Amino acid sequence: MKRRNPRGSSLVNLIIGIWSKYSLQSTILLIFCAVWLVFYAISPASFARPFTYIAIMSVAPFTIIPALSLTYVIITGEIDLSFPSVMAFGAWVLTVTWHAFGPTILGPILALLAGLLAGLINGLLITKCRIPSFIATIGTLFFWRGFVLIATEGFSIPLGMFRGTPVYEALVGRISGVPAQLFWMVLIAVVLWLFLNLHKFGAHVYYTGDNRLAAQMLGIDTDKVLTIVFMIHGMISAFAGILVTLEMGSFWPALGEIYMLESIAAVIVGGTPITGGTGTIFGTFIGGLILKWIETGILAVGVTGFWIKLVYGLVIIVALVAQVMIRRRELRRHRIFGA
Amino acid sequence: MAEASEYLVYTKNLVKRFGDVVALKGINFKVNYNEVVGLVGDNGAGKSTLAKILAGIYVPDEGEIYIKGQRFRRLTPQKARELGIELVHQERTLAEDHPIWRNIFMGREITGPLGFLRIREMRMASEKLLNEIGLRAISADTPVKFLSGGYKQGVQIVRAVQFEADLVILDEPTIQLSISEVHRVLNYVRELKKRGRSCVFITHNIYHVYPVADRFTILDRGRIVAEFRKADLSIEDLSHILVSVARTGRIPEKYEKINLLYTE
Repeated sequence: MKRRNPRGSSLVNLIIGIWSKYSLQSTILLIFCAVWLVFYAISPASFARPFTYIAIMSVAPFTIIPALSLTYVIITGEIDLSFPSVMAFGAWVLTVTWHAFGPTILGPILALLAGLLAGLINGLLITKCRIPSFIATIGTLFFWRGFVLIATEGFSIPLGMFRGTPVYEALVGRISGVPAQLFWMVLIAVVLWLFLNLHKFGAHVYYTGDNRLAAQMLGIDTDKVLTIVFMIHGMISAFAGILVTLEMGSFWPALGEIYMLESIAAVIVGGTPITGGTGTIFGTFIGGLILKWIETGILAVGVTGFWIKLVYGLVIIVALVAQVMIRRRELRRHRIFGA
Repeated sequence: MAEASEYLVYTKNLVKRFGDVVALKGINFKVNYNEVVGLVGDNGAGKSTLAKILAGIYVPDEGEIYIKGQRFRRLTPQKARELGIELVHQERTLAEDHPIWRNIFMGREITGPLGFLRIREMRMASEKLLNEIGLRAISADTPVKFLSGGYKQGVQIVRAVQFEADLVILDEPTIQLSISEVHRVLNYVRELKKRGRSCVFITHNIYHVYPVADRFTILDRGRIVAEFRKADLSIEDLSHILVSVARTGRIPEKYEKINLLYTE
């Protein structure tokens, strides 16, 4: 494409350049700002207070963290529906471990291993048994939920007595008022972004979703890529599960159920098409923030919580329509070279 | 008959069956160093099957493959690639949403410590190759979906050049292309030859392959029925021969004396 003549200010050109290169991400960011402004206008009192943001930030990571690794899964053209149950499974492993051996680092380690195992099982079902991921992960969704229900006999297990211990505080404590899970979320987002964009593995994740046959013919072991992606997602879901359970101060067997559609919605609103091949961690991050902003905003505005779902629906539709329009415009406006 | 080691690729009695169907019935196919071979024949002659065996995608049921004199019973895609054989497929091996440079290095990324990509290096190598092969106007950052069919073939050929393939097999590279694009692809083939590489050009359109090939191998229903040097025949002769082969399975008698199968 021809470069713009840099006659105006270089800052404006820079912004225009970034905008046209990242039009999808910019649009998502714009939607986020719009949502924020609307709520700020309706309820300036609550959105001017830092407390509101801390409230959002203490719960947003539970939706966004699994959504970040789910982005990898969706980029490969697959889906994982089992992660809410894996969150519960991981949290249960931590709970049981801490009740047996005390609140040490062993709990999170075993929980992460449990998540890896659950992801490995998903990966093997999909790559070795050739079961479509949508179906395979419905199976494991029920399996792990059932497992946790049987293991706990449906009862909650308190964890509040471990509050104040170092591992507990490192995971969900407050660092000068800011919830620790926020830092974990940012850390996970940065690491996943780094690997997706700058590492060979991330490139293979994209190719697996964009043209799997081509990737295989060029010597990429797409089965291995898929298995690793599901393992990463299992592990990160288990981590999100332990953050939820520790934040709430108790383990309950239905843990995770509400995050299923929210996390998938965060990925979709964030601009990753369900068909795979493209997608960004940045988009998912902002997509998740949009959804949590809406939830908190509606409650802060003071209307009933029933509105949350309706507005979610609206925002998801608006975001999807915007994405479709951007992609169409991009194809229409771009010169086809050599045609 | 000449020694197998004199050829870049030499196959001996290759047989490939798919269930009851015998797709290749004892193929002795050869490619010289720095030679463009036109592999022509009607649909179902076994051209693509032969290409896929050479690229390691299919395993032959019988026969041997010699590559630079080294003998193999079978190849894998990785092995074929290590030996310098690159197949440009009929089906496009491109990730459409990704930039050209990523596509060129797909599966063989240049990486630094810990497997992180050397993006600048790959992008610059891509720009250089695109320039050399005549895709000057295009930035290596352009997503492949914004390229026409001919340019997409070009990207796949650039990929083969980048990895120093000795033999590039083009499977129907001109199918569905406009006239100017066909012209472009033919130039890529000439460029390969100029660089000392060999090329197998598979097509059933002799008007595309005639200008660039040095030798023609004619395949019919799983058998090689004839081989000709381009110098020995005109495009009309070739067309005449192919029609006869399609009708009767044999080449007209007057061409037998220049058929390399019997004279070599």
